[in-house]
Amino acid sequence: MARYLAGRAAGVVVILLLVCLFTFVIFFTLSPDPAVMICGKTCTPERIHQIRDALGLNEPFLTQFFSFLIGIFAGRDYGEGANLVHCAAPCLGYSFQTNQSVWDMVVERLPVSATVAIGAAVLWLLVGIAAGLVSAVKEGTWWDRAAMGLALGGSSVPNYVLALALQYVLVVQLQVLPFPQAVAFGDDPVVWFQSYLMPWVVLAAGYACLYARLTRANVIDTLAENFMRTARAKGLSPVLTMRRHALRPALTPIATIFGMDFAALLGGALITETVFGLNGVGKMAADSIAKNDQPVIMAVTLLAAFFVVVGNVVVDLVYTALDPRVRITAR
Amino acid sequence: MSDLLVVEDLTVTFPTARGPVDVVRSVSFTLGRDETLGIVGESGSGKSMTSLAVMGLLPKGARASGSVRLDGVELLGRPDRELRRLRGDRMSMIFQDPLSSLNPYYTVGLQIEEVYRAHRGGSGKDARKVAIAALQQVGLPDPERRVDYYPHQFSGGQRQRVMIAMALVCSPELLIADEPTTALDVTVQAQILGLLAGLRKDSGMGLVFITHDLAVISSIATRVLVMRQGEQVEYATAEQVFAEPRHDYTRMLLDSIPRIDDPLDEGVTA
Amino acid sequence: MALAIHPGAPATSGRRVAGVLLRDRGAVLSAAFLALIVLMALGAPLISAISGHGPNEFDTAAVNTDLGGVPHGAFGGISAEHPLGVEPQNGRDILARIAYGARVSLLIAAAATALTTLLGVVLGMLAGFVQGWVDQVICRIMDFLMAFPALIFMIAILSSLPQGNREVLLVLVISGFGWPYLARVVRGQTLTLVNREFVEAARASGASTGALVFKEILPNLRSSLIVMTTLAVPGYVGTEAGLSFLGVGVAPPTPSWGQMIASSVGWYAVDPMYFAIPGTFLFLTVLSLTVLGDRLRAAFDAGEAS
Repeated sequence: MARYLAGRAAGVVVILLLVCLFTFVIFFTLSPDPAVMICGKTCTPERIHQIRDALGLNEPFLTQFFSFLIGIFAGRDYGEGANLVHCAAPCLGYSFQTNQSVWDMVVERLPVSATVAIGAAVLWLLVGIAAGLVSAVKEGTWWDRAAMGLALGGSSVPNYVLALALQYVLVVQLQVLPFPQAVAFGDDPVVWFQSYLMPWVVLAAGYACLYARLTRANVIDTLAENFMRTARAKGLSPVLTMRRHALRPALTPIATIFGMDFAALLGGALITETVFGLNGVGKMAADSIAKNDQPVIMAVTLLAAFFVVVGNVVVDLVYTALDPRVRITAR
Repeated sequence: MSDLLVVEDLTVTFPTARGPVDVVRSVSFTLGRDETLGIVGESGSGKSMTSLAVMGLLPKGARASGSVRLDGVELLGRPDRELRRLRGDRMSMIFQDPLSSLNPYYTVGLQIEEVYRAHRGGSGKDARKVAIAALQQVGLPDPERRVDYYPHQFSGGQRQRVMIAMALVCSPELLIADEPTTALDVTVQAQILGLLAGLRKDSGMGLVFITHDLAVISSIATRVLVMRQGEQVEYATAEQVFAEPRHDYTRMLLDSIPRIDDPLDEGVTA
Repeated sequence: MALAIHPGAPATSGRRVAGVLLRDRGAVLSAAFLALIVLMALGAPLISAISGHGPNEFDTAAVNTDLGGVPHGAFGGISAEHPLGVEPQNGRDILARIAYGARVSLLIAAAATALTTLLGVVLGMLAGFVQGWVDQVICRIMDFLMAFPALIFMIAILSSLPQGNREVLLVLVISGFGWPYLARVVRGQTLTLVNREFVEAARASGASTGALVFKEILPNLRSSLIVMTTLAVPGYVGTEAGLSFLGVGVAPPTPSWGQMIASSVGWYAVDPMYFAIPGTFLFLTVLSLTVLGDRLRAAFDAGEAS
């Protein structure tokens, strides 16, 4: 077990390093010079050189890369003399745009993304699995056909289209919801809930449709298993047969898919956050990309990769707990 | 005392795209206590559907007509709620493929305990003791430890032993074994066959043994029912069937039993 | 069983699948809609010529400059002159932009699908056929790419790349992240096929590697390839639209559906048709492709089961 975990942890670190390197190379070689952008219109070559110096951009590529890595684990210093700024670990640098510490920006915005992700996840798990279950049990009925038709249609609506349509109907036309605002839960729980409701629904809709179809397929497959016939031959009640013998085999694969989907969302629901103006990691990513704010782009890419890779490991560990046939062996 | 199981004029009908099809037509047989009935036929002969109809486990859409009486009580037409109380308690069934017939997500202990608790209630502790005893009864070594194993941790023969333990945990009067040895190695087949015969004798229950292989039941059946394409072609005592079969089809089945002097022919039992 | 999957079988099964699909109302409707979209994309210049409005022609007469540029008339300015209305502010004809946008969307999705399939098949078969260290390397690359936060990374790459040919860049980036999903399946199937009797028989009778790949393995991958590619296309249409929506896709003034929806964000309250029309086209196209892929898979599955 310990060996397995150590191996997986090493794998995580390697992939994250590669992500770092890949991202770094792309910005180092392809991106327009950030110093020129910061400098603005009234710019002299000396001024650009000065800015590049302050940002550490005059160093060779590998030096910059290692400074970045060291910064994450041990912190680093920018500039020198009177201009010296110490950036404590975990240091992801400073935004070119606002000069804020990128780490602080991430910490500030992560709760918003987590709120969006958790709320949506609860919604899509409840709706998707319930709809899929009912469809599977009532296979071939009008309910099944209607629900699955809706699920197929629903998974084809791009979420920004759904977001605009919902806003138009609920906010502009019916006026049952206010336009989403950045309100803390403690300040006004009602407005907080109203503000997050649409993002949750929009984000959950596509997943709910997907999970409904997955659940239905898995449950139908499981109901056809021989052990279900055994359960009936044993005289177990239909409720116990369904709950114990059908649900666990049918839902275990969904748990692993859910883990991956959820982990990916923690890195920011880019489109949903942008459309609704929620100040999460996703919107931060979109903004930083629009303004070519490289330290922030690096940070969000790394953060998203971190969640995906760690989520992968967590899912594998959980899977071994859920399915007794899978046992951990060091590889 | 009445016979344990009386099946009269049993017909099972399946709806298909081309109209209803009878997969079992007018089958009748009787099983006394302390008896073993062998039902023999090729796949598709309706032998499994006959047993599923007795258990009330026919697939959705299938309909059974005629009469099935357990201990004088009519089973056909009774709601599933009532049949459920009989299944696993007074009549049990084991199947061909023990691996897929056991739920891979639960320990064999739990899967045995749940039968006991569904019918007898009682605490988890009692049920566990019963499960261990049941595993002991079917000759599984080290039952105290094995009770917490998962199905995939057993060999094929051991899994079938687990299935038998599960079927017998409530001491049923009737056990239906649907090709219980087909998926097993030949030596293991003989062990399971011996186990079933022994358990039947000890408990005095009635056993219905379904197989496509006449040779398998020659040693244990007291009566034999031969089925072909949904119909019964021969129904007689075992001695009669083996000594002087009345139907050509039975004779053909008998001829296909390999003798020791025959050359080995692999794969026919698959 | 070995006979059922032997090369030669796919031809008859292809006819059977086509027959099943033709009897399926959903599949036929989807195919009809897609045919319409393709025709519209091909005939975009014709549509412009007939209506007299190019995709980038301003028509200030169609919008009310006093009201900040809201289109004249109801439903976003739908009229005989502009059958799908006009864009607010500049009065560009939406029908023309939808038609030209369809060209871009379909072309990118088709090209991305082709490139993804090529990469997926070549690399997947290479891994499954050659095995050894080649397999190891390809598998590691696939793991790495699939662990990537693809959307964020696509945006990051696209935004930092020079403003060259956006369409080509989009295809490259989408395919670059898309091929492992196909390659993984191809690799798995190749691995099992390589050890099947008929492939071993062909190898034993001295068939060249090329003959093995093209005559024995590829024909057997056909049905799963058709299904996987069909199901991938709607994803790519959606991805292209999403990236254009986020402003890193097709660069204006080239019209694209995602970009049209993005520019409608500021207007949805006063001119809902502006997002409803491209939104509906995008939705119906993705839905049709999904339904078609779904039915195709069901038809192939039913064929395998029988």
